[in-house]
Order: sequence, then C-alpha cells, then structure tokens
Amino acid sequence: MVMTGLRSTQRRPRPVRAGRLHLTHLVSLAAAVLCAGVLLAGCAAAGPPAWTMDPVMVEPVTMPPLGARETAYDPPVPAPPLRLTDQDGNPFDLESLRGGPVFVYFGYTHCPDVCPTTLADVRAAIKQSGVPAKVVFVTIDPARDNAAAMQQYVDYYGADYTGLTGSAVQIARAATDWGVSYRQLPSDSANGYPMAHSTETYLLDADGKLRHHLFFGAGPDLIADRLTEVAGP
Amino acid sequence: MDTASSASRIARRRAALAIVAAIALMVGACSPTSVRSLNITGPWARTSPAVAGAGAAYLTIQNTGNVADALLGGSSPAARVVEVHETKDMGSGTMGMQRVERLEIPAGSTVELKPGSYHLMLIDLARELKAGETIEITLDFEKLGPVKVTAEVRAG
Repeated sequence: MVMTGLRSTQRRPRPVRAGRLHLTHLVSLAAAVLCAGVLLAGCAAAGPPAWTMDPVMVEPVTMPPLGARETAYDPPVPAPPLRLTDQDGNPFDLESLRGGPVFVYFGYTHCPDVCPTTLADVRAAIKQSGVPAKVVFVTIDPARDNAAAMQQYVDYYGADYTGLTGSAVQIARAATDWGVSYRQLPSDSANGYPMAHSTETYLLDADGKLRHHLFFGAGPDLIADRLTEVAGP
Repeated sequence: MDTASSASRIARRRAALAIVAAIALMVGACSPTSVRSLNITGPWARTSPAVAGAGAAYLTIQNTGNVADALLGGSSPAARVVEVHETKDMGSGTMGMQRVERLEIPAGSTVELKPGSYHLMLIDLARELKAGETIEITLDFEKLGPVKVTAEVRAG
C-alpha cells in the first residue's frame, strides 16, 4: 500500500496543534479507506465462479387433471426442433427419424430410479405392441453426460436408442423448446448430485408431430396402446 | 364358630386366592415385552449396465413387532455403496431424489421401496446386473442390525 499522501505531508513539516483534527489526519484517513476499498473490491471480484448453471424452469404447457397419466395433442402439433450431438459425437437432427413413431425423453445417466423405470416401461411397451419405434434420450446433465457416457448408456438399450448431449447452453435451449424443467439438487450421496427434472415421455408420429405426453407411471400398457394408435394401421 | 362356617370361610378364602392368582397370571401374560420382528418380501433389482451412474433395488418391509425400527442403508458385493433414497415431487412438474439417512419403519407398519418412491441406490456397480441372476444385499437396520436378502434381477 503506497501512502504517498502521508509521505509528502511528512516532507513538509508544519507545526500541528496537538489534539486538533488536522488536514493531514483527514488525508491519511481517506487514503487508508480508499486503499482498503480497492483491496476489498479486488477480493470480491475474485470470488464467485465466472458462470454457474442457472436452473431451467418452464411452465408446463398443459395442466392435466390430477391423477392423469397422459395428455394428448388434438390436433397434433409439429414437434419442437431437437438438434444436438449424438452418442457418437455427431450432429443429430430429430427430423432424421421421420417415417416412424419416436419417443423423446429428457433425463440423465446418474438417475437410478425414474429414468431407468421410464425407459424400461417404454422398452416393454415397444415389445408388447410389436411396433418398431425409436427412442431419443436427451441428457439434462451435460456436465457429466458427455457423448461417451451417453454411448455406454444407450448401447445397453439397443440400436433404436439415441443419446443426445451438448453444451449447457444447447441443452438449456432444447429443454426450453420442449417445456422441460430441470435443476441440480444438493446431495450428500456417494453417487454425486441428483437432478430434478420433468419426467414426461413425448410420443411423436411418423410425420414428426407431437401426439402425447406420457407421464411418469403411465406404465407399459398405456404406452403400448398409444404407440399402436399413433403407428396407425 | 362351627366347623361348617369355618370350612366355608376357608373355601371362600381359597376361591378368592385362586381368583387373585388367576388375575395376576393374566396381568403378567399381558404385560408388554419388546417384540422386534421384520418381514422383508419381494426384493428385486432392476437390470442395469455397469456403466450406469447407479442401479436400484426395491423391496417391502413389514414391521410385525411392537418396536419401531429404521433402515439406515446397506451393503452389497454388487455395488461399492448402498444408500437409501427417496424419489419425490420437486414442484413445477419435476421429480428428483433425496438421500434418506434413516427410513423409519414404525411398529405395525409396512414400508414399500418401489419405483418412484423409496429405493436402495446401488452406487458404482461392480458389473452389469443381468435379468435372471440374483444379488445379495445386506440391509442395515438400526435395531435389528444387518439382515441379508437375495434380490432377483429383472427388467421391471
């Protein structure tokens, strides 16, 4: 800390009446306060990280009646865009899956209960209905779910499954487009942080139109019924 | 006092004693003793790739005793760590999870660990969990201590 004010004052000795508040006192006090302020401001600027993930909270598009397991789009609406990176690290566009029904689900690989339960129900429904359908699993945890992680995860389910990831900003944009809310939760688990996220499965028809939201707990029977309807004769 | 009345007095006294003894025995039999008894049914684990962040196991705990107990966690050769978690509504149409340090099992109650609710999280799976096989899970109860169960692995 450079106390130039004090030094210059001391070089010019001036008789000071003891006990009185003199200009030199004020100047040195002001200098001290200014230096302290600069130091503290520097500390504050170094503190928080440059960017933290903001929670993405979107109002649900429809408010279904209590206990409902699904909502339907009647008439069907064009599905929102979905252009992210697939499990092989390649750019992926949902429109490339036109020609057959598609399930889209937003989740994360560190999820042990909700996501595997949903994917198991979807897998069972596809098998039950006999309709070949594609499944797109989009991560809302891109920090952990990179392409390699998505590949290991969807390979387990099969060739008809695509895993999508991207940058935090790309995922946030996709989630907003699809009405998916998500946020990181605090955790004291050995598994790391959990995420809170919307748990709907979206069902699209062969023309890329949104037909149903199927809620968590819809079950394979209901999902199979809707898939059969959407696939048509 | 003639012998007949004294005999009847003795008889009445004996009867009274017998009644008192019977009541004492009944009261003794009814006095509560701690009964710790848990039934664990239907343990199963979902099929999972080894690389999944964590697997899940589910079961039903029935407390048939008169003492509350609590599930604190567990262990398994199939995973590095076993924790109890609860899936719950987190508002705005979202669902999330929270670790449960102590899952209370009140006396006379049944607590279900099932998809969308309480579950055992199997963290860092040692290997893929394949349908048809079984895994051992040792549940850690606060009062009853460790209880070993065999969970069936299935897709759903």
